[in-house]
Amino acid sequence: MNPGGNIQAVLRGDKVIWSVVLVLSLFSMLVVYSATGSLAWRIASGHTESFLIRHGFVLAFGWLLMYLGHRMHYLRYQQAAPWLILFTVPLLVFTLFMGVEINGARRWIELPLVGITFQTSDFAKLALILYVAREVTRKQDYIKDFNDAFLPIIVPVLLICGLIAPADLSTALLLFFTCLGIMFVGRVDWKYIALLFLLWICVFAFLVLLGEFFPGVVRVDTWVNRVREFVDNPNGDFQVVQSKIAIANGGWLGVGPGNSIQRNFLPTPYADFVYAIICEEYGVLGGLLTVGLFLLLFFRITRLVTLGTKSFGVMAAAGLGLLIVMQAFSNIAVAIHLVPVTGQNLPLVSLGGTSVLFTCIYFGVILSVSKYVEETARTVSEPSAS
Amino acid sequence: MAMQIRNEVLARMYVITAMVALVTVILVARTIQIGIVERAHWREEGKKERVRLRTIEAERGNIIAADGSLLATSLPFFDIGFDPNSTAMSAADFDANIDSLAYCLATFVDPSFTPGGYKAYLLQKRAEGARYVPIKKDVTFAEMQRIKQFPLFRLGRYRGGLVVTQKYKRQRPFGLLAHRTIGYLRPGAQPVGLEGAFDEVLRGKGGQQYMIRLPEGVWMPLGDLAEIEPQSGSDVRTTLDINIQDITENALYRAMERHRATFGVAIVMEVRTGAIRAIANLSRTRKGEIWETYNHAIGTRVEPGSTFKLAAIMAMLEDGCVDLSDSVDLEQGRVELFDEKLEVKDAVPHQYDTVSVARAFQISSNVGMVKLALKCYGQKGQAKRFIKRLKQFNLHLPIGIEIEGEPRPYIKDPDIPADDWSGATLPWMSLGYELLLTPLQLLNFYNAVANNGKMMKPYLVEEIQRYGKTVQHFPPVVLKRKIASSATIGKAQRLLREVVEKGTASKYKSPHYAFAGKTGTTQLDYRRLDDRTEVGGYQASFVGYFPADNPQYSCIVLISHPRQGGIYGSQVALPVFREIADKIYFTQLQLHQPLNSQPKPRLLVQQLPDYEIGEKRILKQLLDQLQLPYLERTDSEWAVLRAVQTDTLQLLKRRIPAGSMVPNVVGMNLSDAVYLLENKGLTVEANGVGKVVRQSLKPGTKVSGQTIRLTLR
Repeated sequence: MNPGGNIQAVLRGDKVIWSVVLVLSLFSMLVVYSATGSLAWRIASGHTESFLIRHGFVLAFGWLLMYLGHRMHYLRYQQAAPWLILFTVPLLVFTLFMGVEINGARRWIELPLVGITFQTSDFAKLALILYVAREVTRKQDYIKDFNDAFLPIIVPVLLICGLIAPADLSTALLLFFTCLGIMFVGRVDWKYIALLFLLWICVFAFLVLLGEFFPGVVRVDTWVNRVREFVDNPNGDFQVVQSKIAIANGGWLGVGPGNSIQRNFLPTPYADFVYAIICEEYGVLGGLLTVGLFLLLFFRITRLVTLGTKSFGVMAAAGLGLLIVMQAFSNIAVAIHLVPVTGQNLPLVSLGGTSVLFTCIYFGVILSVSKYVEETARTVSEPSAS
Repeated sequence: MAMQIRNEVLARMYVITAMVALVTVILVARTIQIGIVERAHWREEGKKERVRLRTIEAERGNIIAADGSLLATSLPFFDIGFDPNSTAMSAADFDANIDSLAYCLATFVDPSFTPGGYKAYLLQKRAEGARYVPIKKDVTFAEMQRIKQFPLFRLGRYRGGLVVTQKYKRQRPFGLLAHRTIGYLRPGAQPVGLEGAFDEVLRGKGGQQYMIRLPEGVWMPLGDLAEIEPQSGSDVRTTLDINIQDITENALYRAMERHRATFGVAIVMEVRTGAIRAIANLSRTRKGEIWETYNHAIGTRVEPGSTFKLAAIMAMLEDGCVDLSDSVDLEQGRVELFDEKLEVKDAVPHQYDTVSVARAFQISSNVGMVKLALKCYGQKGQAKRFIKRLKQFNLHLPIGIEIEGEPRPYIKDPDIPADDWSGATLPWMSLGYELLLTPLQLLNFYNAVANNGKMMKPYLVEEIQRYGKTVQHFPPVVLKRKIASSATIGKAQRLLREVVEKGTASKYKSPHYAFAGKTGTTQLDYRRLDDRTEVGGYQASFVGYFPADNPQYSCIVLISHPRQGGIYGSQVALPVFREIADKIYFTQLQLHQPLNSQPKPRLLVQQLPDYEIGEKRILKQLLDQLQLPYLERTDSEWAVLRAVQTDTLQLLKRRIPAGSMVPNVVGMNLSDAVYLLENKGLTVEANGVGKVVRQSLKPGTKVSGQTIRLTLR
């Protein structure tokens, strides 16, 4: 019996993407273990293991979801997309007004009975990307039209992002740009997309104004502060300086697993600044490996697009891939002080229950697409070869 | 067409991929810039004040008495505070517990608050963003443990916001006892007593721990363990005997009150070892209270006065120029010397003329002593010999007690011009003036006499202990194997004993044991004028040892400036000495001959109850209660207890005939006999106490309402 073949039979789809997910998951376990030291000290009286075990369970559950997700034919997602969107809108509205407030932002709702809080924007991201991919695919014949194609696609995008933005501007921005990316790849007229940039600036201005009058709803203060900190301090504020110190501590090869010192100074070393901890413990090389993994992921998705250009599947995969990579890069950009502090997780690596689970679902969808696209490509190419 | 679409999609996808790749390059470049190029700079930044070394206080060792009683110990105390804005404290926890917490705090910790008031206070502090709300200071360990169990607090340091700071406080379980000798450390003040002298040992070694600052300004220990664990200090076991110290201090205290004296000193020393068993210093403060404010016993030099005559006479005995049986003319207690320039008077007027040297010493005659001294050392250049003898007695050297502050004795030397030796110096020195000694130094000299000439070094510390085990032992140290010839020592001992038997101390001799010593009444603040002496006050003292025939303890009592109830050593100091000696003598069992020193008798048959007759039930009850093992050899109602062989008790049958026959009641006690006989219808007449030894009617006689007479013994 060939175990490799066995794995191939069970885990189908792009093996490179599977490998990327595997390496990131391992990274996640290692980094979370050492980065939760100070969190564990404060909350669980030093029992770092409790976080590790919990995170391990979450990851295992995520892999299960990913496995199930990639088994499903991606067309099912296409069918589900409009319903998901319908469900998303009230969910976001509910979160905005009734959600659990953590660190001054209402991004979470508490699931009844289970008692787990989850970030509704994670769900919205999935729903919106699937929806935009579906619409772009369906409207290919008249995609350059403004009224028939552009407008019906962009309205839900603006609506959803608008609902996310008050509490979580950076996620809204990421999602918005992701949707634009899908539309761009899906041949929407680039002039309209350029127009959207203009529009976005208007929306942002509107939100700032809104925040002036309803400070509780919109976190204008936080945005303004963060941008001001970024502009005012060329070296960054306390946490960014700590992050840089961490990276510098690591040098090329790092101080070794579990030896991070800076985890004690970074406010959330297991989430926002996980990249700094990777660089400290595994060196700049470890950091480059992380960046490289995400780049590799995107290359594989580009390859998918080349295999099957028209289908809903590749659009969804491109969208989800773009989302993951953009989120990863913005997380890393914060740690190396390229952009203001955003609060984006490093997908799959950062500690954070629902965010990890949703990232796994995104991967599940991508792998499902890759599985069917590759099979289709094989069936198409094989007869021509004969 | 389809191909065009495909190419457009691909082209646009490549644009995006290129952008992603571009961003990747930027991220990589930036990471390398920070991690490699600017590395030195950021690492330097990282070293700035975010790690500090915290010293952890070590627990100070104990000072303990010879028997292990704690004289000074460090007890942990805790300051309790509350951090109402602890980062890890959830609002849910706070809200759920604040009511019961406020109730507990208002009920058990600070009753000046109502529960509602306390809650309002805590809520206000939380709203203000306070990070530390003091709850209570200086709580004991037990109380801290209880407070830790309060609602919310029991969630711990971070979730519960409980802040406990430990500190040590020095406690003296015996209060002021030996206050100055135990001493203290006070910031900014000279260290005092054993606390000061043994600070190094007691202090232990402080531990060190790296603390790092968390972003919210909280200091957290780096790693779970201290870098260097604090090492608690060792214990110092002193020679002080808590009982003797108590006796001494109390006796001195009463005398201080009785005589309204300025200060008083009493020291008790073990003759054979030099171990100081008690050291008491009492001074009258400006407010009139009596307090230990200075260790006069060790740190104050005084002119000893008559107690020094022992040294003078021993010097003469050593030089062989005087013997105890020689006679000396006391000239009725007054003499003028050096062409009437120096008048010497005896302290107590008397009518003696010529007496023996021994007698002159007994009554502490100044005239006699001065005349003898001048006879021995009065010739020009001879005074040096006197000083040489004093040095032979080690009287010019400090003894080197462990505690700080012992001055050197001051003994004049005729060869040193600065000492200003004059013709009057020798006579005055023979009387104990123009020289200075501390009470302890003087006592040490007497102790050597009691110890047959062997001078021990007085000491206060027996050993250094760690966790009850000896780390360092300080054995007794011999300062001088023999300070004088055996003959001289023997004579000195005889003189001291005679002072008590028939001399100045005879009023206080004890019928139970003999003690020896010398009284002293020293003039203080005097001005020696040509024709007379102006005196500002007196110093009463007594130095001696007990029991005289087997000296165990030496003791000095010195009371300065008694203002009422007499001035003489025999009136003021001697009673204190006697009280101390009495109490020590009667409480120290090893000083007594045991009354039952014969071998213990073995428990034999005759000690066991034999031939006890009575109801078996009662006898059994009795034996059980006494836990005496026995064999039950009968099931009858009445029994006789026999001690057969040497060690076995047996309950045997005692037959009491039924029917109307007189039973045998010999051996029974009266109540049993009366019970039996009267039940048979007899009238009982009894004589004596104890057991029935005779009955007037023979057993077996038919009962018909007779009277039976019993004789008991």
